[in-house]
Amino acid sequence: MSKSGLKRDQHRAALFLLVPGILTIVLFTTVPALTTLSYSLFAWVGFQRGDFIGLDNFLRLFEYPFRDQFFMVLRHNTLVFIAVMIFQTGLGLLVAYALFKVVRGRRAYRTIVFLPVIFSLVIVGYMWQTLLDPFYGPINQILLKVGLTDWALPWLGDTRTALPTLVFINLWRWVGFPAIVFLAGLNAINQEFIEAARIDGASEGQIFRKILFPLLAPSLTIITVLTFIGAFEWFDLPFVLGGSNGSPAGATDTLALMFYRLSFGSVDSGANNVGVGSALGVVIFTIVGLGAALGSNLLRRREVEM
Amino acid sequence: MKITYTWLRALVAALFAATTVVLPGTTSASAATELTFWSWRTEDKAFYESQIKLFEAKNPGITVKFTPYLNTEYNAIVSTALTAGKGPDIVQLRPYGAMANLMDAGSFLPLTTTSVPALKKLSPGILAAAQGYKDKKQFGLPYAVSALGVMYNPAILSASGVNALPQTMSQMVAAFEKVKKAGYLPLGNAGGNGPALEQLHATIGPSYYGGTQFFNDVVAGKKTFTDKGYVASLKAVADLAKYMPANYQGIDYNTARGLFANEKAAFYIGGNYEMGYFRSLNPSINIGWFPAPKATAGSKRYVGTWGDGSYAINSKTADQAAALKFLNFLGTKEFGQALVDEIAFIPTAPYVKINDQAVKEINRWVKTLGTPFLNVVGFRYENPTSSSILQPGFQKLIVGGTTPEQLAKDVQTAVASWYGPQKGKS
Repeated sequence: MSKSGLKRDQHRAALFLLVPGILTIVLFTTVPALTTLSYSLFAWVGFQRGDFIGLDNFLRLFEYPFRDQFFMVLRHNTLVFIAVMIFQTGLGLLVAYALFKVVRGRRAYRTIVFLPVIFSLVIVGYMWQTLLDPFYGPINQILLKVGLTDWALPWLGDTRTALPTLVFINLWRWVGFPAIVFLAGLNAINQEFIEAARIDGASEGQIFRKILFPLLAPSLTIITVLTFIGAFEWFDLPFVLGGSNGSPAGATDTLALMFYRLSFGSVDSGANNVGVGSALGVVIFTIVGLGAALGSNLLRRREVEM
Repeated sequence: MKITYTWLRALVAALFAATTVVLPGTTSASAATELTFWSWRTEDKAFYESQIKLFEAKNPGITVKFTPYLNTEYNAIVSTALTAGKGPDIVQLRPYGAMANLMDAGSFLPLTTTSVPALKKLSPGILAAAQGYKDKKQFGLPYAVSALGVMYNPAILSASGVNALPQTMSQMVAAFEKVKKAGYLPLGNAGGNGPALEQLHATIGPSYYGGTQFFNDVVAGKKTFTDKGYVASLKAVADLAKYMPANYQGIDYNTARGLFANEKAAFYIGGNYEMGYFRSLNPSINIGWFPAPKATAGSKRYVGTWGDGSYAINSKTADQAAALKFLNFLGTKEFGQALVDEIAFIPTAPYVKINDQAVKEINRWVKTLGTPFLNVVGFRYENPTSSSILQPGFQKLIVGGTTPEQLAKDVQTAVASWYGPQKGKS
């Protein structure tokens, strides 16, 4: 067999293996995305499509009350992204460094840190709801017993504490993920760099700042982009803990919840609006798509510089 | 990706619907007809199956398959299936706005008093629960009524020295104070659940805004939600917050109901359907019920009420005659009686005998003081519904995050954006 024939065969095999993946993406991502785009250009009565109305649904999205809701949820998603980046990713990095340094029981610690990631989210949600119950919950009971009466708050029910509490629960569940990614990044770093630095008299802090952290840039890129996508499409935890209305008073409302509510209606408050819902879907898609593309591009460029 | 996930769910629901539905042709080809019957009442599966057995015994050649779906997903599942021209033969319908769009789109078989004689016995207000939004044709046979009022624990009231049931809101507040002094929690209601607050408002509110008269005026566009009486009704909800449990804003629906069921709270304001839940948590609880007190000595008393659920026939059913036969079975006295005896609903049909004392009492008040649940009956036909503004609005209101005036304005703006008679009004 000639060399080019072999190449062609490999090419064919590769194509064959790619087909199921491509088909799945087209069927379950591309087609729904394009359908959403087309839906957003029509008037809807319930689930019944009406006339073509151009960009009216997009204009409607920027009128009361959708406008107010949209900017409120956009603010929530942005705050969540920032908070997750600072606290969850920051803590993940520290945990990874600790796991990297620890000698005895590294595997056990690694398992413990990663364990919540594999828990069912619904169970995690209900567990924290029970723990934080303002009446029966053990957390407030303990706070009351030790005299911190002012701290025994209705964590999930107060509009000021609900979103930060959700971010905390998210951190508890997810911190293992960035930790493992960073740990893999740390393990991939050539030991010789560290030894050379040590011989040159660098302190542990200097080694972390000047060698380890810059070399972790590819891991940080992945985590940042994934966090961005996750934060702007956050649905599961807010839905489990605050329902589709982002209770209390919309304090835990997100872009995805608003999209869900508009598209499918809520049992408690009635009618849906597929047109405006689809318009919002297109807006979310654009935010996430542009943000992720721009972010990964910028961060990659930074990786090269370092 | 969440967008695709949600659409994926709709797709799965549609595929599922398409595969579970008995396709036209397959039923008529065989001698026996199998009707499919969808519902959101998973808890009533055993009841419906036992009733279906009775129907099948009397109607050889017709079998009925009852399939309940998750209540929160039900609207989407039914809408997707029916819009695709599929769906079951018999559909359990949510009332008023929830499914009126499907009715207007021709998804259901119009019913007449000839095809379903049981409709003749129902009052116009109840029939409205299963009519289209545009042409007011009858599409469903309503089977239950819900009513809002005040539930109380007689033992706690007598232990607190509350000897007479409150007739006015100031008497109600006095009763709350007495209960509090005796060391009990006055009110079990809390703020963690927006819909529950909306129901609390629909219970005590009508006496402030003038019940059915205001309902008719606001529906006709003669009055708006910024009306003084309506604003006062919103304020009345905020005023009750101080009698709710500590940290009330964070207490969820089940915990709140648990406080009353476990005899920690003296009162619970809400729908008659809560009683079944209270009794399931505490079978020995003794529950009393009275209509919401009047706003002032001079105002009228009302019981918020609405038709809650009906049965309809898919307009694309393969065997209309069999489907009508089953629907008429659901309209019989025997079926209605079983529904009341076993599930303790307030029946729509006047020919059903109520044996449960509490249900009997509520039904008596519904007949004399009934007024439509303003949001459910009038303003859930398009988004933004009045409920979608009020539910989070009440959560804000009870913690001082907004004012009754502002909330009333928000509701008006939202409703005026789609409801013809209110357009351009503020």
